[in-house]
Amino acid sequence: MAQRGIGAKYPKQPQGRDTRLDGVPGVAFVAHCLLNQNAKTVGGARCPGIYSPLVDVLRDKGWRIEQMPCPELAFTGLNRFWAVREQYDTTAFRRHCQRLASAVVGAIEVHVKHGRDVVLVGIEGSPSMGVCITSSDPARAGLPEWPAGSKELAPGEGIYMEELRKELAARGISDPRVIGITHQLPDHDARTERARLETFLAR
Amino acid sequence: MTLRDKRSFRVALVADRYLNPRDRALDVIPILVEAEWGVIQLPAEAYPREVAGPLLEQVAEQTEEFHRHGYDVVVIGRRKGLKQALAAAGVPRLDQLEPVNAADVKAFLRGRPAPSAGRPSKRKTRATVKQA
Repeated sequence: MAQRGIGAKYPKQPQGRDTRLDGVPGVAFVAHCLLNQNAKTVGGARCPGIYSPLVDVLRDKGWRIEQMPCPELAFTGLNRFWAVREQYDTTAFRRHCQRLASAVVGAIEVHVKHGRDVVLVGIEGSPSMGVCITSSDPARAGLPEWPAGSKELAPGEGIYMEELRKELAARGISDPRVIGITHQLPDHDARTERARLETFLAR
Repeated sequence: MTLRDKRSFRVALVADRYLNPRDRALDVIPILVEAEWGVIQLPAEAYPREVAGPLLEQVAEQTEEFHRHGYDVVVIGRRKGLKQALAAAGVPRLDQLEPVNAADVKAFLRGRPAPSAGRPSKRKTRATVKQA
């Protein structure tokens, strides 16, 4: 995704602003599960609740945190199966994502109107929240069993992230900077990720 | 993918002022990390009603899913419109804390009963029936 600044349509408005949200270098809209691992598909929770490596970096840098809703949790529920992008790529799921995106972009718009830097933080490997890496397997269907070692990670964006960008565009807000957390990828390295996050936020 | 799931089955709906505290206000994140709770963030008080309303609707729908599955769900702080949004999603009244300081939050979380989710199921699966 392009690393452009957000807010092309809105000039900075120092007059008449609500100062309760001021005093931060930026606002990070993060994937739901980064504050609540209980929302993960069973088997996917990497920690009990808050994924603190991300939260620590955001807070160290003074960023405001905004949690986005989990697209999968409210649609297929807590007992959902592991799924790939193709299984979620239905009209009904996209409508659900549009509804979520509309709510989130309403909040993003508040910050953009006040000239605040807004970034999105997704989840690499996720069928809905992936930024550069999603999960894909066009043949996956039926009984949820597949050969061990089946490859499912693939370049691409998750469905919710696509719908979020569409909603931003529809409201005249240019693409925000986006980064994906890699904690569910096999080559995840916590130190590398922290450095990557710090560089990303410093831009 | 690993199947070693580390979830806590505990979720706190947290007012924005305690998640993004200003100056030296109460900060609940370190407490929740330590006590192993997940968070559902409540919309900032500064958001206008037309922005907060749809966000509260999402909060309520997700809360309903956790509550129905026996996760322990509590509220820390308050948010105008939350009660109505939860009621509309069919969520009964949740235990709530209006904290004054960190000790309040710690004591409140410490006193929670074990969530019913996550306990071994008593229902016989096909595999357990076969073994018996």
